[in-house]
Amino acid sequence: MSLAAEEIKTCCVAAYGSPAARVLLGDSFHPGGLNLTRQLIRPLALGCRSVAVDVACGPGRSSLELARETGCTVIGVDLSAANVAEAQRAAEVAGLADRLSFLVGDAEALPLEAASADGALSECALCTFPDKRAAVRELARVLKPGARLALSDMTADVARLPDELRTLQAWVACIADARPLDEIAELLGGEDFVVESLDRHDNALVQLLDRVEARLKVLAMTAAMSSGDLERGSSLIALARDAVAAGTLGYGSVIARRS
Amino acid sequence: MAVQPARKVDRDEVFLELTRSICPVCKRVIDAEINAKDNRVIMRKRCPEHGLFEALVYSDADLYLAQQRYNKPGTLPLEFQTEVKDGCPLDCGMCPEHKQHACLGIIEVNTSCNLDCPICFADSGHHGPADGYSLTLEQVDFMLDRFIAAEGDPEVLQFSGGEPTIHPQILEFVALAQSKGIRSVMLNTNGIRLARDRRFGEELAKLKPHLYFQFDGFERETHLAIRGKDLRADKERGLDRAAELGLTVTLVAAIEQGVNEHEVGEIVRFGIRHPAVRSIAFQPVTHSGRHVEFDPLQRLTNADVMKLVAAQVPEWFALDDFVPVPCCFPTCRSMSYAFVDGDTVVPFTRLLEIDDYLDYLSNRVVPDYDVRHALEQMFSSSATPGAEKALLACESCGIDLPAELAHLEQKVFMLIVQDFQDPYTLNVRQLMKCCVEEITPDGRLIPFCAYNSVGYREQVRAQMSGAEVAPVVPNALPLQSLLQPTRFGSKTVAG
Repeated sequence: MSLAAEEIKTCCVAAYGSPAARVLLGDSFHPGGLNLTRQLIRPLALGCRSVAVDVACGPGRSSLELARETGCTVIGVDLSAANVAEAQRAAEVAGLADRLSFLVGDAEALPLEAASADGALSECALCTFPDKRAAVRELARVLKPGARLALSDMTADVARLPDELRTLQAWVACIADARPLDEIAELLGGEDFVVESLDRHDNALVQLLDRVEARLKVLAMTAAMSSGDLERGSSLIALARDAVAAGTLGYGSVIARRS
Repeated sequence: MAVQPARKVDRDEVFLELTRSICPVCKRVIDAEINAKDNRVIMRKRCPEHGLFEALVYSDADLYLAQQRYNKPGTLPLEFQTEVKDGCPLDCGMCPEHKQHACLGIIEVNTSCNLDCPICFADSGHHGPADGYSLTLEQVDFMLDRFIAAEGDPEVLQFSGGEPTIHPQILEFVALAQSKGIRSVMLNTNGIRLARDRRFGEELAKLKPHLYFQFDGFERETHLAIRGKDLRADKERGLDRAAELGLTVTLVAAIEQGVNEHEVGEIVRFGIRHPAVRSIAFQPVTHSGRHVEFDPLQRLTNADVMKLVAAQVPEWFALDDFVPVPCCFPTCRSMSYAFVDGDTVVPFTRLLEIDDYLDYLSNRVVPDYDVRHALEQMFSSSATPGAEKALLACESCGIDLPAELAHLEQKVFMLIVQDFQDPYTLNVRQLMKCCVEEITPDGRLIPFCAYNSVGYREQVRAQMSGAEVAPVVPNALPLQSLLQPTRFGSKTVAG
């Protein structure tokens, strides 16, 4: 990647905080939606006295679910101030503001104290972090020993992806710097974490691609989007679908315990 | 020598529920088992006098069970019309044990019709005036008032029959219902008068009721089998007339096995392209009233019709684009909404995760209650085209559809699949939550399937006409030796 790390981060913030992302991705910013989030939450084994951190929390939907499902306190961190503000609003509307707080922050330098969290969730985000080792180190730093991390992410064998899926545009769509699932496990399996389980959810990615394509088509009906954009978007989606079928692109999750 | 102990054998079905039903022959209330076998859901019941009955309830057990989650707690009406005395389904209605208010009220304005279809749950036709009835304006006024007393702010009223458009006062009835503030007034019709009577069309256009337009397919054989006549030219003219006059239409297709199953896809394509048509209601033929001989274990159910749509229009719809309707019992009705622009059709289910909002059984917080409320209005028995507006206008909503969509009303299309119960399949568990009610001339609100299956229709017809009306028995294969025709074309039992 020739792009500077800062440039990528800025671009991610702009893209994921934008109304366009909202419109395209709808109520869920990651494959698998709330159902997969619930699956990830379970092994964290959190209770009402626990504190959990949601890294790259977006507008806070998973943070809210985390708080509701487990009764724990959640600190959400996101690089986009717009997302953080929206997440805070959502927590207030849900009447959960006393258990949820959101901070603008970088996953590679979390604004949290060491050994302060009983669990961590990070969905569809690792692939967008330019310095993945730094992000993993940070997760390890804020988790208490024995606490678990539930992480889901795009998986990709980037060398075998078509060029169109390796551009900047695709980067923010979580593709270009995604890693194969075993590489993610390796990244986590250093001295800080013990990987407990690895799961593939490629079908959830196909469903998300369908969702984005449906939304693109509907947008084109409103004239909010040109037919050229629709074609470009649809052709990227078709490439992504082919890549999932070929096994070079997918979605996966890891449960790891802080050693 | 050792004796081998006898081996116990497992049953070949899963027992799902014990409920109540009726004997299809004598209509007495009897217990009924619901079992799943080979992924089919089957009702089994025994009448002490008439023996064992089995009927297919739903042809996909997985789907049947999955849909149970979409069971919204009912809403109490403002008023019940009867008391609990003998228990469901003998106290209709509504009695205070009924679990849901009326989303949709039906007034049958007459029993006569300009057709004599081989299939008619209302047993209507060209019979003499002494065999039926025709409501007066005073009667309709009273019935509307009873409906309003029960509902306060009624959602949908449908005028039906017979053929309501041949009632000389039908326009006055529509105007009266509208003047009472009922939100949506629908007119059920076979379309013949609209096709042939210019003046009638013009008068109707002034009132603009939504038309519930019988439309079963494109083939001559389909028309002959279901309607007894080739009505293709009338249907085409009627629909074109509706478009000219600015009337909106729901196509209502009765689907029967071996008759028009193959036409489901073409009906969808035709409806989506026709300027007057906003929605299509598919109904597996109801085996109440008059119908051709059928096998209760081989009938069509909602699952079959949804699968036919998915198989015949795969470019637009898939099975999971249909959402069970939570206001009634969720296995009775499923619906799908889609955005349409030329040949691009995008079902709503592709845009948001409806499961997250309409699962009422899991003890979970819904992501956004405004979205749930809007979805409840869309996926309801009272939904008429335009019901999606609440969702699209929902500002706070977490699904983030672009605001421009709210103005695309004419581009939203609705598909409904509705299975009505008959004397074989009647299940009080479903019936007690029914939200489609027949309003009777004496002011009761009777669940549609109870009205057609339990004997209420015959009672009302006898009361209103003064004629004797034989209890109708399904024209089912296993009952053939018992049956004899009634003078309306339906069947009854000898003796």
